[in-house]
Amino acid sequence: MSVSAIGSQSALAIQQLISMRAQFDDLQRQLSTGQKSNTYSGLGLDRGVTVSLNAQLSAIGGYDSSISNVTTRINIMNTALTRMSAIGSTVKSAMVQASTTGSGGGPSLTQQTAQSSLDELLGLLNTQAGDRYLFSGRATDQPAVGTMDQILNGTGTQAGLKQLISERNQADLGANGLGRLTIVRAPINTVTVAEDSVSPFGFKLASVSSTLTHGTVAGPTGSPQSLSIRFVGGVPNAGDTMTLRFNLPDGTSQNLTMTATTDSPPGANEFTIGASAGATAANLQSALTTSVGKLAGSSLTAASAVKASNDFFDADSNNPPQRVAGPPFATATGMTAGSAANTVIWYTGEAGSDPASSTATARIDPSLTVSYGARANEDAIRNMVQNIATLAAVTVSPNDPNAADLSNALNQRLTANMSEPAGTQTITDIETGLATAQSSLKAATSRHQQTSATLSDFLQQVQGVSNEQVGTELLTLQTRMQASMQTTAMLFQTSLVNYLPHA
Amino acid sequence: MSLSQALSSAIAGLKVNQSSLALVAANVANADTPGYVRKIVNQAATTGNNTGIGVAISSIQRELDQYVQRQLRVENAGASYADTRAHMYQQLQSVYGQPGSANALETVYNNFTSALQALSTSPDDNAARSAVISTAQLLAQQLNQMTGSIQTLRGNAELDIADSVTKANEAMSQIAKLNKQISSSTSVDSATTTLMDQRDSYIDQLSQLMDINVVQNGNNQVSVFTNSGVQLVGAQAGKLSFDAQGTMTAASRWSADPSQRTVGTLTLTSPNGGSIDLVQSKSIRSGQIAADLQMRDQDLVQAQSQLDAIAAGMASALSNKTTTGSAVPSGLQNGFEVDIGNLSAGNTITVNYTDSLTHTARTMTLVRVNDSSALPLAGSATAGANSKVVGIDFSGGMSSVLTQINAALANTGMVASNPIGNTLRILDDGAGNIVDVNSLSTTTTATSLSGGSAEMPFFMDGSQTYSGSISVLGSQSLGFAGRITVNGALLSDPSKLVAYQASTSAGDSTRPNFIYQQLTGTSQTFSADTGIGGGGSSFSGSITTFLRQVISQQGEAASSATNLQQGQDVVLSSLQQRFSDGSSVNVDQEMTNLLNLQNSYAANARVLSAVNDMFTTLMKM
Repeated sequence: MSVSAIGSQSALAIQQLISMRAQFDDLQRQLSTGQKSNTYSGLGLDRGVTVSLNAQLSAIGGYDSSISNVTTRINIMNTALTRMSAIGSTVKSAMVQASTTGSGGGPSLTQQTAQSSLDELLGLLNTQAGDRYLFSGRATDQPAVGTMDQILNGTGTQAGLKQLISERNQADLGANGLGRLTIVRAPINTVTVAEDSVSPFGFKLASVSSTLTHGTVAGPTGSPQSLSIRFVGGVPNAGDTMTLRFNLPDGTSQNLTMTATTDSPPGANEFTIGASAGATAANLQSALTTSVGKLAGSSLTAASAVKASNDFFDADSNNPPQRVAGPPFATATGMTAGSAANTVIWYTGEAGSDPASSTATARIDPSLTVSYGARANEDAIRNMVQNIATLAAVTVSPNDPNAADLSNALNQRLTANMSEPAGTQTITDIETGLATAQSSLKAATSRHQQTSATLSDFLQQVQGVSNEQVGTELLTLQTRMQASMQTTAMLFQTSLVNYLPHA
Repeated sequence: MSLSQALSSAIAGLKVNQSSLALVAANVANADTPGYVRKIVNQAATTGNNTGIGVAISSIQRELDQYVQRQLRVENAGASYADTRAHMYQQLQSVYGQPGSANALETVYNNFTSALQALSTSPDDNAARSAVISTAQLLAQQLNQMTGSIQTLRGNAELDIADSVTKANEAMSQIAKLNKQISSSTSVDSATTTLMDQRDSYIDQLSQLMDINVVQNGNNQVSVFTNSGVQLVGAQAGKLSFDAQGTMTAASRWSADPSQRTVGTLTLTSPNGGSIDLVQSKSIRSGQIAADLQMRDQDLVQAQSQLDAIAAGMASALSNKTTTGSAVPSGLQNGFEVDIGNLSAGNTITVNYTDSLTHTARTMTLVRVNDSSALPLAGSATAGANSKVVGIDFSGGMSSVLTQINAALANTGMVASNPIGNTLRILDDGAGNIVDVNSLSTTTTATSLSGGSAEMPFFMDGSQTYSGSISVLGSQSLGFAGRITVNGALLSDPSKLVAYQASTSAGDSTRPNFIYQQLTGTSQTFSADTGIGGGGSSFSGSITTFLRQVISQQGEAASSATNLQQGQDVVLSSLQQRFSDGSSVNVDQEMTNLLNLQNSYAANARVLSAVNDMFTTLMKM
């Protein structure tokens, strides 16, 4: 502001005083606020830089809080996964012990272990970080899996795993308990083994071979498939064998070898050589029926349970489980898709076809994102849940004559399935993925610390003031103002008026 | 020669002494009166019979340097122009807040983007969602409130002009009145000089309000003109009038067309009745009024359009969806087709083509317009500067649209057709090969929060979607910063920040990532109106970059306004110093004169007493 002169006093001198006073006030403000200016215009040419710096600092702050959030989540996930691995080992070793002891009490103890393990496993899969479910894919607001009771026993209207296993069991064994096979002798010197229908259930005839003297085997052929053993022109010698090969529902195969013997009654998997071809055929039919029945009660039952369990767990909200079309189940010939209304869907999280890790991503740098998502139905996790649940669901009655075989067959299959064959995803693979993300997070954190320190420094240089400098300027200004005021005062006093003689 | 002669000479001396003493007294008394010019007595010897027989006062003279006075008036206008602008710029600066403080625009914006970062890390977190909503609301409110402040400043400028006009009218009529009074006195006596002092002070007042040119005529008369040559005061004073408008909004603009003008204009009615619009003729170039006009019509308007561009940029970045047309070869002709059914007013169809003769890539932008009276559009209707812009009126249905598009494409060699429904197909000239269509795309505004894609109407223009539509009243972006709000549907259902369709999982970060990316990374084009691109071109960059440019530019403008003001103050002060050195009263000098006068009075009295003695001697004889 310009100042009008008052009288003969120097306008410039007064202007100087005013501007010095304004400067003094400004320095005082700088000292008390630590800020160079309270408007952008006062920051000088670097004012634009402060906007960029503040934006960058704010972004880094955002990245940092993302990083600490994500680090917490990954740590929790790691804890859960580590515990899952341990549970897998416990269950596996429990199964090994049960199959070696082979006593009647063993399986139920294993089952108890399996149930408590399953319970814990499902609890781990519903692990939360804050309100966020970590194993539900993108559906972080929903638990990843149902409870053990729901999964095994179902709810009022929805079937659980046990029911599916039971239905499949009925379908695989058939009404006669022979694994949907018929074993008949017709004509009298021929034994025919045939599948009762074209269906995915029961034993599937794969091949037949024999070293039987006077015995010819044919098949399997036809639809439904059948094969035959015919004795022509004599009887086999003791020790001759014939072997049937069955494909089981879970994809495994089983050989049944029948040996000709002169003992009567024959031992297990033996048939007595009769007096004639017809009598031998009759013996073979009866021995075969017993052996197949035994096989159905053990290997087939185990394979059926594994298959049913696989169908049950190979499902999500978009793909409900496959179930045996029925009832009646014993004569069922096909599978049908269940629905969310009639079947428990074990995985309640988000089901997508993209990689599970991409379901949760965090931007931790302007150009870097880490993926740390997981779904409970990823292969490694599902495999573990499925096998432990199968073990927990199949009850082997000690009164069952096939109890030991069944338990053995089941344990063998489950142990094999849990041993993580090469080429399939393992829990360790998931952990490795998370560890990679974690190391990216660490690297980004330290990068951000450095950048943020540098930027803050720069910002302080532009926006802030040095107390020493302002203090010095204040002192200098004070001296100048005092001097200037002193001289102004002196100037005002020197007037001729003061020196005129008084009358 | 006689004693009586000496007596009358002495008496004349005493009389002049008394008058001079009175003037010294007046000078001393007015030493501190602003505008008072030191007076001195011009005295002359009176003669008779070739001999000095006495002394008389010939005139009273004002000690005045007219050259400096003229300079001073020019600088007076300049200084008050600089002063007014600097003060308004300081107020405008406070609108942007203290650097880095909680109420600075950049901080509010950064808070919003930080909340978005948190949301993309935890899309399912209700707290993160409401943080985004509340920071977005704060941002919208900040823009609303800044718009309010800028418009208040414009309103202040308007009222300031009205006040200035009152002051100017008063000064002009006083100057005319004083002119008349001075002309009526025949000699320059002390009364006349006082009137001239007064007149000078009114002229000084006027010179602060506008840049004037003062012409001295004979007989101590002055005429006042604006520097552009319009006469303000002659024998009679002209009259300024200003129709100040009570409310000022972002849409209030000066226009030469009185029906479109929504702010006041300055009219001078000359004594003979003619009138002239001083704003239109740009007659006032300096002084307080010019500064107020400059702020009201240029600087503050630009500040507003910068805020509008930020608001429009945010809204469009989140709602605009670009759909690329699919290639359709048709015989020898190649081209593209795209659905133009869901274009909102202001949405665009972009055709990129190559002129094969000159191998130049060109762009044509077709803008949907619902109001045919807004056509044809100005080239600056869309933010991008390097494309031909054509408005297409959609009110007449597809066939009318097609006709208009073909008219726009005429001379390019391309041809548009409508194979089915709302599909627009644009083909090149085939065998002629003078033009190749490179791409065809539409930009549409998402109007639904769950339209199946990440784009969403996050920010609204009141209760309407913002699509940048253009009507006869202007672009929707005009004053948008004052109306921007967060979509009400989003306030009532923050889950829509994540759920872009019904089946979206709570933890899906697609939309939060999109929003964050659009607001911080994606480059946008900002209109040339904002003055950021420089030289009338548009500016491309992210919103953050644009914000930085705005703060920079405004800071620089405020800073240079302050610098100009300080410079003008120094110039004015030193001129005033020079002027007052010559014209103001120096008490010491007056005291010296006083001593002189005392002595001279004593001497004259001594002569009188000597004559008296001599007469006594003569009488005693």
